[in-house]
Amino acid sequence: MDQAFDLPGLYPVLPEIALVGGAMALLMLAAFGGARAAGASNWLAIVVLGLAAVLVVATGTGKYEAFAGSFVLDDFARFMKIVTLVGSAAAILLAQESVGDQARGQYEYSVLILLSTAGMMVMISAADLIALYLGLELMSLALYVIAASERDSLRSSEAGLKYFVLGALSSGMLLYGSSLVYGFSGTVGFAGIARALAGGDSGIGLTIGLVFIFAGLCFKVSAVPFHMWTPDVYEGAPTYVTAFFAAAPKVAAMAVFMRTATNAFAPIVVQWQQIIVFVAIASMALGAFAAIGQTNIKRLMAYSSIGHMGFALVGLSAATPEGLQGVAIYMAIYMAMTLGAFACILAMRRADGAVEQIADLAGLARRSPTVAFFLAMLLFSLAGIPPLAGFFAKFYVFLAAIKAGLYALAVIGVITSVIGAYYYLLIIKVMYFDEPAPAFEPMRGELRMVLGVSGLFVLLFFIYPRPVVEAAALAAKSLF
Amino acid sequence: MLQAYLPILIFIAVALIMGGVVILAGRVLGPHRPDSAKLSPYECGFEAFEDARMKFDVRYYLVAILFIIFDLEIAFLFPWAVALNEIGMFGFVSMMVFLGILTVGFIYEWKKGALEWE
Amino acid sequence: MYEAIVFLPLLGCLIAGLFGRVIGARAAELVTTILLFAAMVLSWIAFARVGLGQVNARVLVATFMHSGELKVDWALRVDTLTAVMLVVVTTISALVHLYSIGYMADDVHRPRFFAYLSLFTFAMLALVTADNLVQLFFGWEGVGLASYLLIGFWYHKPQANAAAIKAFIVNRVGDFGFALGIFAIFKMTGAVDFETIFAQAPALGGKTIHFLRWDIDALTLICVLLFIGAMGKSAQFLLHTWLPDAMEGPTPVSALIHAATMVTAGVFMVARLSPLFELAPNAQAFVTLVGATTAFFAATVALVQNDIKRIVAYSTCSQLGYMFVAMGVGAYSVGMYHLFTHAFFKALLFLGSGSVIHAMHHEQDIRHMGGLKDRIRVTYYVMVIGTLALTGFPLTAGYFSKDAIIEAAFAGKNAFAGYAFVLTLIAAGMTAFYSWRLIFKTFHGEPHDREHHAAAHESPLVMLVALVVLAAGSIFAGYPFKELFAGHAVGEFFRDSIRQSATILDDMHHLPIWIGLLPTAMMAAGFLLAWQFYLRRPDLPVALARQHDALYRFLLNKWYFDELYDFLLVRPAKRLGRLLWKGGDGWLIDGFGPDGVSARVIDVTRNVVRLQTGYLYHYAFAMLIGVAALITWFMFTGGPH
Repeated sequence: MDQAFDLPGLYPVLPEIALVGGAMALLMLAAFGGARAAGASNWLAIVVLGLAAVLVVATGTGKYEAFAGSFVLDDFARFMKIVTLVGSAAAILLAQESVGDQARGQYEYSVLILLSTAGMMVMISAADLIALYLGLELMSLALYVIAASERDSLRSSEAGLKYFVLGALSSGMLLYGSSLVYGFSGTVGFAGIARALAGGDSGIGLTIGLVFIFAGLCFKVSAVPFHMWTPDVYEGAPTYVTAFFAAAPKVAAMAVFMRTATNAFAPIVVQWQQIIVFVAIASMALGAFAAIGQTNIKRLMAYSSIGHMGFALVGLSAATPEGLQGVAIYMAIYMAMTLGAFACILAMRRADGAVEQIADLAGLARRSPTVAFFLAMLLFSLAGIPPLAGFFAKFYVFLAAIKAGLYALAVIGVITSVIGAYYYLLIIKVMYFDEPAPAFEPMRGELRMVLGVSGLFVLLFFIYPRPVVEAAALAAKSLF
Repeated sequence: MLQAYLPILIFIAVALIMGGVVILAGRVLGPHRPDSAKLSPYECGFEAFEDARMKFDVRYYLVAILFIIFDLEIAFLFPWAVALNEIGMFGFVSMMVFLGILTVGFIYEWKKGALEWE
Repeated sequence: MYEAIVFLPLLGCLIAGLFGRVIGARAAELVTTILLFAAMVLSWIAFARVGLGQVNARVLVATFMHSGELKVDWALRVDTLTAVMLVVVTTISALVHLYSIGYMADDVHRPRFFAYLSLFTFAMLALVTADNLVQLFFGWEGVGLASYLLIGFWYHKPQANAAAIKAFIVNRVGDFGFALGIFAIFKMTGAVDFETIFAQAPALGGKTIHFLRWDIDALTLICVLLFIGAMGKSAQFLLHTWLPDAMEGPTPVSALIHAATMVTAGVFMVARLSPLFELAPNAQAFVTLVGATTAFFAATVALVQNDIKRIVAYSTCSQLGYMFVAMGVGAYSVGMYHLFTHAFFKALLFLGSGSVIHAMHHEQDIRHMGGLKDRIRVTYYVMVIGTLALTGFPLTAGYFSKDAIIEAAFAGKNAFAGYAFVLTLIAAGMTAFYSWRLIFKTFHGEPHDREHHAAAHESPLVMLVALVVLAAGSIFAGYPFKELFAGHAVGEFFRDSIRQSATILDDMHHLPIWIGLLPTAMMAAGFLLAWQFYLRRPDLPVALARQHDALYRFLLNKWYFDELYDFLLVRPAKRLGRLLWKGGDGWLIDGFGPDGVSARVIDVTRNVVRLQTGYLYHYAFAMLIGVAALITWFMFTGGPH
């Protein structure tokens, strides 16, 4: 009865509490503090994210549970949470000027990011279907609002609305699947579901529940055929929002995907493996093919992220610790590459506003060689060219797939990554060999910082990959 | 077994009787002076008998949504109040946190001017 | 000392080639020429020590490659055969270097030219000092490379490039046979060095090589394959077409490479491998056949050519045929004798022609010359000496060696010896005719081109020195060496460096006297005919040509070999290449490979992008379809278990 005073029981949730509390405090501060406080809200939000990261790290290692087992903090959660927090913080950095640019009162952006990040953290730690859904909705609701945050823009509103409607549909599917699983297994806890499945009396109902849950999760990672919202939303939403969409939420959704698949549905691995293999192939193929036809770089990045989610799912489909380690590494590297690339896209700004056509990058190498070099490195890395980080990301997932006997999948992955290399290289060609287009305005300090850090990470990963690789290995082990 | 539903039957009967009595009393006891405004169908804030696909003022929705949030809060508070003895301090703190968050939101919307009509 | 002979030219090549720009053209000329003369002096010392002093030497320079059973060392094998070649190569090369200083004086690329010349000399020396077949092959390809570079020296001339490529490709055909021969030897004996091969050769008699369904006598096959290599390098019948074209190179090159040294590499190789050829009579017969045919064929073509260098080139071809006839009948020392003397007078003729061309400002057509003997007197005299030697005028160098070959052919025992005797005899007459035709049309009669004639001038002293030395050689290289090469001293001179047919020399010495006189008679007849045609009645040859128009054209067009090869080989090869290019690479590989794949990718992209309609209900529909498809899949595969 005295659970309220059992504060140590809440320790694992402290980062989330910090995030939500910080969000509340920021909201109040900005509401009362006027323009100056609103201007500082971005930095304060980053401080809050940093505090949450410290709290995550402070728990050391090992597995802690809260809320009667529906919330788990283990090595996997720590790894993914750190990646997510970094992603969110970087997204706020990227948004810095864009927010200041607009009419006042956009400080909600950082608050919404904090709230959505809190939702991601809950998702990552979710150990039952209810916590999963709660976290997912907390994240998504904030995202819907952010997507439509440029209220005067038709495209932004359209993006927000599309995202909301389809997101509601996917949430409905997820809920429907959850209810089926609950109905057939009698529990919502992942451990209980696994026990019920191992008991053997799992009928077709559980499988259908599995399909629906996975459909909901696939929507969040924007895997084919649940990806349709991605290009439109990426293109329509303000660029700094797109940068956020492409990074942290993907990591969190992939994390919850991994935990659900390996913890709750471990006994029917044969079934979900089929789904993942199908989805992975479809995503890789679509990401590779559809991106070729794009002229808008944001839309291209949307297809690129679809393809990359496909590659990450290759690792998940292996269903082995190596595979999940590969996915964890992949997500970390993917996030670095994506944020760096978006830093460059955000820098595509002329006196009369932002531009987002690939052709606008023409001759960038002659206008600003450093930026062009870093962007080229990031694109090479996205294409998976050694010795850049993107190569190792793909290497680990393909290696795991081969070890798990999924040869065809690995071969298809390599082929699609070759096809995909085309459009990354095309951008590099445009930057280096085409006649220069009019120059962009100078790049902001925050963008430079994000680009520099991610570029160096991608460039130098191969020299000292151990921290990331070992942390990912530890994380993957804690799921089994 | 149907006896379990007897209170509901009684409740329905009481509701019908009360409703009927009130309407009847109004018809019988009230003054009866009709004019055109009184006879027209009532629609909150709009002209009646127009195309249904007209533009609403978005402020209506804002108020409606804010109303629903607090409406649901009450719906949440009722079972909580009933079960407060059972859930003890943990339940109390939880609800306070919930109300606190709600209050923050309320303050925010107030400060933003969402409650001002003009 | 032997190392110095071989590597001094290489040193010169490196200095002139790498530092030619730094040290200047004059220094490059001097360095290479002086080093070559040093090598020449050393070679003559080596000749005295090895040939006359009868001391063989083997100098191990380096380990070339050891891989499994294959053991190849880089060693210099210096016996009499090698010593003769060393003398020939370094002497001619040194004189050609000297001559080139004058001849190439106007060319801006002199350092490159002298570097190539020295490179060639090095490769040729590596060839003649080879201790094993691989080393021989190295030198063989090295001279081929140098030849290619020098023929194409004037790379801005399209004909020069075409000629260089032609020489290279035709030689590849021969080299292919040569390489196969080496492989066959390695297969049969497990070794490539001469000692081991010669020791094992007798045991190979009667053994066969199985190829497809045939069993072929091993020794015959090996010797024929090796001889095909020799045919390519020495421009023998069927593989001769590159030699006349090679005259596109500078004249000193023609003298050095395409008269005196490289083209005799085939002869040298057969002599070097005489222990093998002696065991394969069928191959010897083949050698005789090809040699005799070449001697005759080339002489007929030379009769009607008008380019001064081409006449000498065909003459070279013909004389090489003589040498092979000697090889074929087993008189290796006699063949080497002719090689030795021929080097002098043929180099002389080429350099003399070069002097004429130089005097005539690069005019090469003898129809435009005439009456030059008073304008360039020294050149005239040395050319006459060269011609006397070539035609076998008594007591000149050519007289001894060529007559010896004709006698050897008569005395020879193999199936084609008689054929060879008849053809070489006729060729001797034709040789006299075309050689004197050249002299008469160039130096005598009325000048056909007044302007050039008037401007003609004698060559500078460096060129004349080389000419005079060679002229002396053309006269005196014969008699003093007669005993060593074709007399009683052959045995102790050559010792085991060649394996001469046991009886051939004896048989040659016991021939009827008229056999010895016949070649001289033919020579005299040829001379008289030429005198009649070109000095007394210049209208006769024209009338004759008109009378036998078909024959004239046949000869003028070199038996239509170029046209035949063009039709049989070049055009089908080009057609095949075009087919593989357009059809194989362009259509098949590109079409179904890169181009096809990228086209399909674009198609797929177009269709995929079309799916993205922008309509919300399409998107929702896609999601539901996805779920439905997955569920259907599981319904049919039966769900769990």
